[in-house]
Amino acid sequence: MGEAHRFPLPIVDGLRLDKPLRDTLMPGRYLHDDAGYVRKLPRYFYEVPSWEHAMNIQLTPGFALWEFIQTDVREAAPLRGFPRYVPCAITMLALCLERLRDAVGTYIHIAANGGYRSPRHALNSNATPHSWGTAVNIYRVGDVFLDDRESIERYAALARQTLPGVWTRPFGINRGETDDHLHLDFGYVLSMPRGAPEEHLGFDAERRAS
Amino acid sequence: MSTPVLHRTVSPPGPDALDALHMRLDALERRAGARAIAVAVHDTATHASFRRHADRWFHAASTIKVAILLGVYSAIHHGWLLPHSRLHVRNRFFSAVDGQTFRVLADRDANSEVHEAVGKMMRVSDLASHMIATSSNLATNLLLDLVGIETVQRALDELRIDGIDIRRGVEDERAFERGINNRVTADGLVQLLRLVAEERAFSPELSREMLGILHAQEFRNGIPARLPPAVRVAHKTGDISTVAHDAGVVYPPGRKPYVIAVLTEWEPEAAGRSATIAEVSHAVFELLTGEKSPGPDEEAANG
Repeated sequence: MGEAHRFPLPIVDGLRLDKPLRDTLMPGRYLHDDAGYVRKLPRYFYEVPSWEHAMNIQLTPGFALWEFIQTDVREAAPLRGFPRYVPCAITMLALCLERLRDAVGTYIHIAANGGYRSPRHALNSNATPHSWGTAVNIYRVGDVFLDDRESIERYAALARQTLPGVWTRPFGINRGETDDHLHLDFGYVLSMPRGAPEEHLGFDAERRAS
Repeated sequence: MSTPVLHRTVSPPGPDALDALHMRLDALERRAGARAIAVAVHDTATHASFRRHADRWFHAASTIKVAILLGVYSAIHHGWLLPHSRLHVRNRFFSAVDGQTFRVLADRDANSEVHEAVGKMMRVSDLASHMIATSSNLATNLLLDLVGIETVQRALDELRIDGIDIRRGVEDERAFERGINNRVTADGLVQLLRLVAEERAFSPELSREMLGILHAQEFRNGIPARLPPAVRVAHKTGDISTVAHDAGVVYPPGRKPYVIAVLTEWEPEAAGRSATIAEVSHAVFELLTGEKSPGPDEEAANG
């Protein structure tokens, strides 16, 4: 494959980042999910140099990178500026969403705080796939706002039909439920693309950090 | 370098003039059919004050938004928020009663711009402007949700303001039905606005920013309605079925400002509420400045 076709963002080993970023991204560390299971956080990230890059990098025809990293003041301070870091699984999430977009035949809008959120984001309590770059909150499909049972369950069913293995949050007002967006995720997937820093170096770094 | 503002020397109103204002307001209360009219005034030019039922508690309605503005700027002052910080616009809040979710209905909100941004982000400063200038309930709950009731209360305590009791966000119907309401006194609002007007709320810069937001008020049928056009007013109204309020800082040309809060309580759907506030404001303006502002008949004659 020629140089022009290479993915334009460098892959970084989170264990080699500066301490404020390591404390925010928690690369390779473990969190409990809501059910009490231990989940290992991503270690490899794409480095996004600027908002302009995020705006210009089209992950798929229907989704640009910025849509997955728009977080508000509740995100930890080191990730409110640039360079910013997003787990490498984000590209596969975009591919899956593109397939859903084809199925719905219109625009899919990801909510603010609804793409990647660091483990230190104030909205997170336990492990959430948002911190793996494998989850999205969709608040609008075309002109339809997903803010009632009918619209949320309709698009959740379509997502399950279109995307094998996807998990959709049930409609409701209680903890673990949603009534103003469609949450879908692919679980705690770890992605290490070719081009990631060499494993034996990473192993050393991981051992040093533990 | 800023241009110095020259203010003429003014004298405080005498006891007779204050008594006359009391009688005028007593008559107005009877004539308008209000359950209660409370007024507090502090004149920064003469340090004169006027109080009528100024420690009586009222349902705050939207005047509580001034306290929330103070809480937001407290968070900015303490460094964990910036005016240009971005906030996710999400219409989902938790009742103060039982934590159940509720929404701010778009057709009960005076501002549509914030509702149109649901799912996106808005700057804290823009939300603060919408909260005050057009009394956006959605912006209010978003900001209160962000900073927390405790932060607002701490800001009030830090500045030693009493007479403002914040318990919840707005449009929380379950809390309203249980009698859990935000409350204010005329004294409380004047204490707060006086600190802002005198640039003593956290810092001169932040006080001026808050004043700028209050100056953008779009509902002008209360305190400013019967004042001369050259008089600027930075204020916040509050209006529900049984109360109508307005509180602000009044800037007559060539004179230091005065701070005024007019709180009124009514039978549901009573008429003439804003006109009554405007008349109180008009009477206080005449007392403090000695100038006659146009009466309602003159205004009508002038078109």
